[in-house]
Amino acid sequence: MAVISLVNVRNLILKDISFDINDGEIFALVGPSGAGKTTLLQVLAGLAPYSGRIFSDARPLDGVPPYKRGMGYLFQDLLLFPHLTVEGNLIIAMGRETAGKRRKMERAAELLELMGIAPLVRRFPHELSGGEKQRVALARALASSPEILLLDEPFSSLDFRIARYLRLEFKRLQKLLGFNALFVTHNMREAAELADRVGVLNDGRLIQVVKPDDLWLSADPAEESFLEKTNILFVSNHRETGNGLIEVEWAGHSFVVPDEGKPFERVAISPREVFISNLTPPGPPVNRFQGRIKKVRESEGMAIIEVEVGDESIEAKITMEYLRTLNLSVDDNVCGILKLRALQGC
Amino acid sequence: MKGLHRLCFIALFLLALLVAGVLFALIFRISFKELGDAISSPEVLFALRLSLWTSLAAIIIALILGLPSGYLLARRNFRGKVILDTLIDIPLVMTPLVAGVGLLLLFGQTYLGKYLARVGINFIFSPWGAVIAQAFIAAPIVARSSKAAFEEVSPRYEWAAQTLGLRPFRTFFRVTLPMARQGILSGIVLAWARAIGEFGATLMVAGATRMKTETLPIAVFLNISSGELGIALSCALLLIAMGLIILLILKQIGNNHRRELPMKGIE
Repeated sequence: MAVISLVNVRNLILKDISFDINDGEIFALVGPSGAGKTTLLQVLAGLAPYSGRIFSDARPLDGVPPYKRGMGYLFQDLLLFPHLTVEGNLIIAMGRETAGKRRKMERAAELLELMGIAPLVRRFPHELSGGEKQRVALARALASSPEILLLDEPFSSLDFRIARYLRLEFKRLQKLLGFNALFVTHNMREAAELADRVGVLNDGRLIQVVKPDDLWLSADPAEESFLEKTNILFVSNHRETGNGLIEVEWAGHSFVVPDEGKPFERVAISPREVFISNLTPPGPPVNRFQGRIKKVRESEGMAIIEVEVGDESIEAKITMEYLRTLNLSVDDNVCGILKLRALQGC
Repeated sequence: MKGLHRLCFIALFLLALLVAGVLFALIFRISFKELGDAISSPEVLFALRLSLWTSLAAIIIALILGLPSGYLLARRNFRGKVILDTLIDIPLVMTPLVAGVGLLLLFGQTYLGKYLARVGINFIFSPWGAVIAQAFIAAPIVARSSKAAFEEVSPRYEWAAQTLGLRPFRTFFRVTLPMARQGILSGIVLAWARAIGEFGATLMVAGATRMKTETLPIAVFLNISSGELGIALSCALLLIAMGLIILLILKQIGNNHRRELPMKGIE
């Protein structure tokens, strides 16, 4: 059943957006900067004007002020109130439905416990690390008991490892508490990892809504212009290495891929994450391949290099300056590295 | 560079000498005994009490008018904003004596003044006149400093509060006002300093009647005129003491603000 429905929502940036978010679902919106992702969240929260219809559990939200819409909003810059402690930030969000200060304090403690940050209860926001602030902001958004949680690039400002850890935590919490969430990101990997469904937004239009696994295989030309052409490698001979990685084979080379806990036959990697060189790069011999340059073309100021590896081919995207430094041309032999953290089984 | 610094140092020394000279002239003109007698005299105690309550009442009026004005000017754009913004600054640059003449005419000669007198509210030559004169000078200071303080608080915090279910009034009192408190407090203290030392406008509206509209500055004026140097200087020293207290409070507020600045930067 749809918790949130948008019907022909439009404003200066958005163009006739219609989609539903189902009960218990995490919905991701991906798109480049300026696509209208944040505007769409602001429209849902009642912070930006729009025409069209928005329903929450069949209740029309048009004209309803932000404080009555029941949308928890996790802003990109978090906006924790600096004059309040962590506990104060949570209590202020509880409103009148949670009666009594003692009950509110208990509820704040429960939420902080769930987030694993119970000892921070008396701290002020400026005394917290980036990851801690993120969790406090999430706890605060949940404290207001929203119908749906809106998250604006929630993990973009964090270190890669912390972001990944928090994504897993977020998934665990969502399963535990069963809240609905809509989050926007420009990180496809993040969307694929977290969401049940992904909407692709470009230039104010919702181009399509797909399952995360299909995101990498999208053939829509408009979508490709922003998503770039992703390398899809058909892999075989899966073997668990036992340390959160799976070893696979592609084009006669073996690679390790992060184990996401679900089976996959393909591995996706953005051309930006494929490193190539005419010398053998230093470092451990992991996720490397040898190949021959088949084609070099220029796209939006970057060089796209197609490399033939055995019977397969892969594309790498490098700067024109780097291409000139390497002095690469067609038929040159190159070494390549696939960045482990950029590999996504699908 | 050294020569320039030397010249600046001489200027600073001369300025400090002038201020210290004025203070010494006031402090050492009378003995401690004379000072003690004067301060405990009914007239000085009356002036002190009147100054304190009129300035307090003036600050309350200034807050009621200045705070919402500052908030609106900081948050909203509307037709005529520039005109209103400039208009409320006029008392800051207006000679207090002229402001007093204006208030005297407004509350004495116009329909408004006559109507207020008919319903029993008489500002002219009454202590309430001193309150109105002080509020007229203080309110723009509160409005100006509040505007600056509210502008420092990103309206996005208000968005965040509203998405958490806080209604606009609750958002204002629980989020915006506490976050802007340092700047507003500085403004209140400065406005109070101006109110308690206000002379020209008070003289015009409330008049200078001994033991009736005699605030501390009026007491200095009346007693200097009648040759009562002891009482005049005691009142002057009380004003200086209050000024020092105000400076200390402002310094403390400034320190607190500096301590909180990094937090605002991070958030």
